[in-house]
Amino acid sequence: MKKVMMTVLAIFATFSMGSAQDFGDHSSSTLTSKAWEALNAGDHAMVKAYTDKCIEMYLTKAKEMQAGLTALPTGSQEEVSKYWALNDVGTCLFIKGQALQKKGDKAGAKKAFKTLVDDLKYAQCWDAKGWFWSPAGAAKKTLVELEFETSI
Amino acid sequence: MKYKVLACVLMIFSTLSSANPLQSIIDQVELKTGEIPNKPSKVELKKTSEGNWRVYINDVETPIRGAGGVLQPGMLEQFKLAGGNFTRTWGIGSLEDKVAGGERYIDRAWRLGIHVVPGLWIGHERHHFDYNDPEQLKKQREHVRQSVRKWKNHPAIAMWGLGNEMEDPVKQNPNPAVIKELEILAQIIKEEDPHHPVMTVIAGSGAGKVKSIMQHYSSIDVLGVNAYGSAAGTGEALKAHGWKKPFAVTEFGVMGFWEVPKTSWGAPIEPNSTEKSKTYYSSHKLVYDINEGKEMCLGTFAFLWGWKQEKTSTWFGMCLPTMEKLPQVDAMTKAWTGEWPKNRCPNIVKISADFDQKVIEPKRTYVARVDAIDRNGDELTYDWLVTEESKVQSVGGDKEPDPTSHPDLTLVNGQRDGVFRSPSKPGAYRLFLTIRDGKGGAATANIPFKVK
Repeated sequence: MKKVMMTVLAIFATFSMGSAQDFGDHSSSTLTSKAWEALNAGDHAMVKAYTDKCIEMYLTKAKEMQAGLTALPTGSQEEVSKYWALNDVGTCLFIKGQALQKKGDKAGAKKAFKTLVDDLKYAQCWDAKGWFWSPAGAAKKTLVELEFETSI
Repeated sequence: MKYKVLACVLMIFSTLSSANPLQSIIDQVELKTGEIPNKPSKVELKKTSEGNWRVYINDVETPIRGAGGVLQPGMLEQFKLAGGNFTRTWGIGSLEDKVAGGERYIDRAWRLGIHVVPGLWIGHERHHFDYNDPEQLKKQREHVRQSVRKWKNHPAIAMWGLGNEMEDPVKQNPNPAVIKELEILAQIIKEEDPHHPVMTVIAGSGAGKVKSIMQHYSSIDVLGVNAYGSAAGTGEALKAHGWKKPFAVTEFGVMGFWEVPKTSWGAPIEPNSTEKSKTYYSSHKLVYDINEGKEMCLGTFAFLWGWKQEKTSTWFGMCLPTMEKLPQVDAMTKAWTGEWPKNRCPNIVKISADFDQKVIEPKRTYVARVDAIDRNGDELTYDWLVTEESKVQSVGGDKEPDPTSHPDLTLVNGQRDGVFRSPSKPGAYRLFLTIRDGKGGAATANIPFKVK
């Protein structure tokens, strides 16, 4: 009986999760937008789902783009956006780190931020105010602050 | 009778000793004694064997662990004990301000082994200085010449601070006439005093400003950059613009009120003192030790060792008007020395209130609550105060009047729970909290709200 209950619960959990998360067209930009929305809504489980999916699908491509760069790409929004995988996976790592930090998982946050700083330092994120910012730069700052925080 | 006399003597002693809350700090520091030599220190800018630009004073490599302000009696001593070694002023007149021991600021700095960058104030166009008016320019050049002539042999002087944000904080491309005039002024300084480098301070590291300086102002030795949210990226930005000389971050600390999220009525949300301390620490560490361009960075000047009204009474100050230090000071001690000070400031874990960033009813009772810790286990006192939101929109740190406070609205004070009655007059307000440890340490926070 107990086993049956467990199975029912597991099926229910799978369905309810599947219905809540919606990867849309599975593009890196869709996953990143949805991850931002989830972060703003404080929905850490959804942040994890969207960022992990983006990282799983596009990390290899992002690393490839990073490997071809020796400096932060500059130019128009269109030119910088040519590095779409690098920019979106980098941003997802930043969002993931932020959600973990808010959840109190400092070790997990550090890991996400460190991956971003070490592997995807030339990722950029478009700000609606009209400029690109560097998720790796922001992650570096948070890493230093997390270190500092432990001794406050 | 005997007891009365004794009580009287004790009272006088106690009054005298409590005249300056920093007296115990003043008494702790070691001072150089004797006559101050009328001979400049040897100041050089050189690269280390690792390729890092550094200031050398009397042949000793001296990373700038600096702050602006540090003017009130006892603060130079407080700054020295915290690990600081450089200060900068905005005007030359501050050098003669009377500080602890009744000494002039510049003399006391020398006795403490603190190096000073005296500010030579240069006219701002927004204050109606006209860079096309030969008379004004002549007067300004003469002022610079006479100031340098007067002070150049003082051994506490490390370099000249020629101008502060005179190119205008809000302009992306400065008026070339301003930058060309700086070149003339720097040449005057070097004619008078070939022994000290010239630093000029601009607001931010924008490409337009940096490129204009590279084009029109070749005599500059050190670029000073005032930067808040972007302080950590200063070296990287300068490098990207092609800057190759040394630089210092000459104002940094908390995020500026123009850079943070705002309430629905446009009031910037001020971080509490513990949150601020993290930004002070990380900005210094990143720009000086970690980020790209660090090899050009001579060090940083934290803003502001003291206090001032700018947007709020607590936004930029690292100390209180009652002279206690805030966690921002402790953060700089940790950044400069690697160690925490013996007496730590209280830290705010959480401050919460139902009315935080809300529009509320007038004449109702509201409660706020804070959780704070003190590493030394000191007993903490809590002071809650309702103050009107500043209505002034000043630029570049221009002087602002103090907004009105309403102590009569605080119903329950002195405790972790602050209870107050909301004002009857509609408008924007903040509930300020000051926590003190009774031993020279404090913490601050405020909660913005609006009355219907």
